[in-house]
Amino acid sequence: MDRGLYIAASGMLAEMVRQDQIANDLANATTPGYKADRSAQSGFGQLLLHNTSDGQTIGSIGLGVQIDEVRTDLAPGPIHETGEPLDFAIEGEGFFAVQTSAGVRYTRNGQFGVSASGTLVDAFGNQVLGADGNPVQVRRDGTARASDVGVFAVTGAAKQGESLFTGTAAGTASGKVRAGALEESAANPARSMVDMISSFRSLEADQKALQTIDQTLGEFAGQVGSVS
Amino acid sequence: MVSALYTAAAGMEAQQNHLDQVANDLANVSTTGYKSLRVGFHDLVYQLEGRGAGPGVMTGAGAASGVIGRNPTQGALIPTERPLDVALEGPGFIQVRGPGGEVALTRDGDLQVNADGYLQTSSGQLLQPPIKVPKGVEEGEISIASNGTVSAAGRRLGQISVVAVTNPDGLQPVGENVFRPTAASGPVGAAGGTALQQGALEASNVDMADASVEMMNAQRGYELDSRVIQTQDEVLAVANGIKQ
Repeated sequence: MDRGLYIAASGMLAEMVRQDQIANDLANATTPGYKADRSAQSGFGQLLLHNTSDGQTIGSIGLGVQIDEVRTDLAPGPIHETGEPLDFAIEGEGFFAVQTSAGVRYTRNGQFGVSASGTLVDAFGNQVLGADGNPVQVRRDGTARASDVGVFAVTGAAKQGESLFTGTAAGTASGKVRAGALEESAANPARSMVDMISSFRSLEADQKALQTIDQTLGEFAGQVGSVS
Repeated sequence: MVSALYTAAAGMEAQQNHLDQVANDLANVSTTGYKSLRVGFHDLVYQLEGRGAGPGVMTGAGAASGVIGRNPTQGALIPTERPLDVALEGPGFIQVRGPGGEVALTRDGDLQVNADGYLQTSSGQLLQPPIKVPKGVEEGEISIASNGTVSAAGRRLGQISVVAVTNPDGLQPVGENVFRPTAASGPVGAAGGTALQQGALEASNVDMADASVEMMNAQRGYELDSRVIQTQDEVLAVANGIKQ
């Protein structure tokens, strides 16, 4: 059948993936330390068209598109003061490290608390690690020294949910920890809304292309070769 | 392929929860010794997309929020000149007898003498250990030292026990400004360096300006997510509209 149908359909499917990604950014517009994503789209590859009677090359045609990769922009976000002693933010590059049951994970969300044994933990009770890899002690007055909290450089950081990133530690990072402050979500509502609208219009255009091809095929089947 | 609808719905729920907690803080803006709530946010699980995306492409399922504790910062001390009002300066709690006779903690130092002559909190919890005020002693004669020693006319009546736990966020609220220690809070021990101030009460540490800004933030987030739901509905309408 006509390749155009499948090409237009692939465009619609790709836009729907993009909608999912944008919806997640917007849902996390107030999640501290959240890093926004971008959907990178690419073609399936080209096909060379030949004239069926003499084999002469006519040109190439694309076979549709897909979202190849959802990239996370790890650029530091703005920091705002909260006055909560156990809120921490990293000014500059790097991640906090927490010890989870599945191994060390990394985060930029510094909404920490204290465990029953007096160590600094994240919102899920995972130990926050110091620069030496040991738990960080919270003092009797309910504060913890910002300089005790470790900042790690991470390569291959990938989101895992619950504000955590997987990745490989690559030594200490240049970022400075600040207590009583949080890094704001890097999701940009204005940009995400524009992306969502433009993606929606692309989806509509793909739908129109599909319908037009369908009409063409319909006329082809109904009129070409009819006797009257 | 309807996951973006649920992603936005999760975002709305997170903002709704945030709004509920801010409303709770605002309702307690004049509650003695109240500590504002800390609302934590996090993103949800990331899942493979499947059709329309290349191998390994994952998108997130939205956000969630929950109370992760309380802001422990000191509330302002409001002088009341009432001799049985005590405010805590520093971390810790006044030890009282809970509804079931167990040890409970409060920062509400609005004390009274009950019918039997014992000191109790405004919600009716006796101090632990109990302190008896002898008959004939007027409220104005009672003096409370910064270390908690209660005396009247030079006679020592007892000592208000000021205690602390390792993790105050692990305390279980049992209503009326009273908390019960749990395994998560750690054991109750003496609070070092916390002083009692007679004739004053600790105001709520809710900051009206902060709470209002948070409320606006939560509302805007809620609106954004509801716009996303509308758009996703239109996306699905376009998909359904392929077949005319």
